[in-house]
Amino acid sequence: MNRAASLPRTLLPYGLALLSVAAATGLALASELAGFDKLDVPLLLLAVAATIWYGGRGPGLVAIVAGILCIDYFFTRPRFTFYIYWADIGYFAVFVAFALLIAYFTGQRRRVEHELRRTRDELDARHANLLDVTHDAVFVRDLDNVITYWNRGAEEILGWTAAQAVGKRAHDLLRTSFPRPLEEIRAELLRTGRWDGELVKTRMDGTQLVVASRWSLQRDAAGRPLAILETHNDITERKAREDDIRRLNVQLEQRSLELEASNKELEAFAYSVSHDLRAPLRHVSAYAELLQKAASSVLDERSRRFVANIVDSARKMGALIDDLLAFSRIGRAETRMTRVSLAELASEVVREMERETDARDIAWTMGPLPDVHGDRSMLKLALANLVANAVKFTRPRPRAEIEIGHTTGANGELVVFVRDNGVGFDMKYVNKLFGVFQRLHTVEAFEGTGIGLATVQRIVARHGGRVWAEGAVDQGATFYFSVPKP
Amino acid sequence: MDVLGRILLVEDDPKDVDLTLAALGEYNLANEVFVVHDGAEALDYLHARGNYRSRAKENPAVLLLDLKLPKVDGLEVLRTIRSEERLKLIPVVVLTSSREERDMVASYKLGVNAYVVKPVDFHEFVNAIKELGVFWAVINEPPPGSVGKRG
Repeated sequence: MNRAASLPRTLLPYGLALLSVAAATGLALASELAGFDKLDVPLLLLAVAATIWYGGRGPGLVAIVAGILCIDYFFTRPRFTFYIYWADIGYFAVFVAFALLIAYFTGQRRRVEHELRRTRDELDARHANLLDVTHDAVFVRDLDNVITYWNRGAEEILGWTAAQAVGKRAHDLLRTSFPRPLEEIRAELLRTGRWDGELVKTRMDGTQLVVASRWSLQRDAAGRPLAILETHNDITERKAREDDIRRLNVQLEQRSLELEASNKELEAFAYSVSHDLRAPLRHVSAYAELLQKAASSVLDERSRRFVANIVDSARKMGALIDDLLAFSRIGRAETRMTRVSLAELASEVVREMERETDARDIAWTMGPLPDVHGDRSMLKLALANLVANAVKFTRPRPRAEIEIGHTTGANGELVVFVRDNGVGFDMKYVNKLFGVFQRLHTVEAFEGTGIGLATVQRIVARHGGRVWAEGAVDQGATFYFSVPKP
Repeated sequence: MDVLGRILLVEDDPKDVDLTLAALGEYNLANEVFVVHDGAEALDYLHARGNYRSRAKENPAVLLLDLKLPKVDGLEVLRTIRSEERLKLIPVVVLTSSREERDMVASYKLGVNAYVVKPVDFHEFVNAIKELGVFWAVINEPPPGSVGKRG
C-alpha cells in the first residue's frame, strides 16, 4: 500500500525532467518562429538546472540525455533527424560540459543545505533534551494562556504529563495564585519582556507548592508577542526553612529580651543586696560589739559567748555577702580584654599575700609564665583565689611548697596551674570543688565562704577556658585553668 | 536652729547616725556634727532656707553623705553642691554601704573628695569614721567661708 503510493512519487522527478526538457524545446522552437535564434542551449540548460534542483541527480541525468537528443533532433543540421555532423560535436560537448557543471554545483549546494538542515534538527532535538534534563519546571504558553510545551521537570514537579498539560489553560490547570493582579504582571511582561516572582501553584494531587517563577516573552521577527516561556523552581522547602528561621529569630529575640530583663532584675537585686542587706548586718555587728563592751562586767561567761557568737556570725555574713557580690559582678561586668603578663600578675598576687604568709615558711616556685589574652583584673582575682587556697591548705605543713607554672593542653591551649603540698582532697569530691558554697573542709579547720573556686570557674569560663583539679588526701592539690593565647 | 557644726552628716538611718556619733564621740567630735535625714533637708541646710533660714551662712568643713536617701538621693545632692558657686568648694565624703562600682564611679565623676564603704566590722567602722572625722574636721584646712574651729 505504502509502496504503491510511493512509487509514483519517486517517478515524479523523472516526469519533471522530461516535462521541463519538452517545455524548453517547445519554447526554443517557438522563439525561433518569432525570429530569436540559438536559444535552444540556454533554455535546455535552464531545464536541466531546474530538474537537478528539484529532482536530484538521477532526473538531472535524464534531463541531460533528453536535452542532447532534442538538440540533435530539432536544432542541429540536418534538422529533424538524429544524424550528427562531426563538426557539431563541439556544440554537444559545450552543452554537456555546462550541464555537468550545473549538476555539480547544484549537487554541492543541495548537500550543504541538507547538512545544515540535519544539524539544525539535531540541535533542536538536543535543546528539547536539555529542557527535559533540567530539574526546573519549564513550559510555554501562548498569549491565550494555552500550554504549548511542557518539559519533564514540569511533569515531575507538577504531576501532569506533557500529553495531559499541552492544550490546557495554564492558570486554570495550576490554580496559580498571584501576589499582584494578573493584569499588572501582564503589563510588566509586555513592557519589559520578562517578569519574576514567587507564585503558589497546585499540583495534580492537590498539594500546594511555592515556586520562584521567571517568565519571558517570545516575540516574532516583527516584534509581536508570540508566547510566554515560564520556568519554575520549586522553593517550597526553602520557604518552609525561611519561615522556620524567621520564627526561630522571633523566639530568639523574645528569649534575649527576657534574658536582658532577668539580667536587669539580677543587677537590681545585687544592688539592693549591696545597699540594703549590709546595713542591718552592720548594725547587728556594731550593737553586739557595743553590748560586749558596755555589759561585759555584768554578763556571765555564757552570755558573753553568745554575744561573741553574734559578732562572729555577723562578720561571716558580711564576708559572704561581699564574696557573693563579687561573684555576681564577674557575671555582670564587661570583660576588658588586653595582653596580660601572667608573670607580673603572679608576682603581684604573691606580694599581696605577704601579710598572711610572713610568719610562715613557704617555698615559692614560679616557672616562666607567658603572656595571655584576657581581662587583667579578673585574671588576677582568679589567680589570687587559687594562690590564697594554696596558702590556706598548706597551713598544717611545716614547710609549704607552692608552685605556679604553665603547660600546654591537649588541644594546644595554654594551661596555667597552681600546685601545693597541702592537705589535698579526695578525687571523689572533685565535682563539688567549683560549686558555689561547696566546701570540703569544716570551717573550724579552714575558714572560707565556698565562693573562691566558683569565682575562679566563672572568670575562666568568661575567658572561654575551663578549670579542673587533681589531688589526693594529704598529697597536695593542683588546680589548672586554660586561657586563650594572646 | 542656730547650731553650727563643722561636720554635716546626711544619713537617714537613725542607727547609722547613732553609731557614727558614737564613733566620732571617741575623739570628742560628736558635738561638731549636725545631722540631717534626707537630701532635701541637706540642701535646705546648705542653702540656709526653710527650717534653716536663720542659721549663719557658713559652709560645713566637711559633708558626710550617704547615697541612698529619701526624697533627694546622695548623688543628686552632690551634683547640686558642685554646680553652685557658693557650695562647690565644700569637701564631700561619700559614706555608704554600697561597694557597687557604678556608685563609686558616678560619685568621683561628680567630684567627690573621698568614697568610703562602711565596714561591716564595728572596729573597722569606728576606725574609719574616727579617721575621717579627725582628718576632715581637724587636720584639713577647709576652704574659705567654712565654719571655723572652736576655741
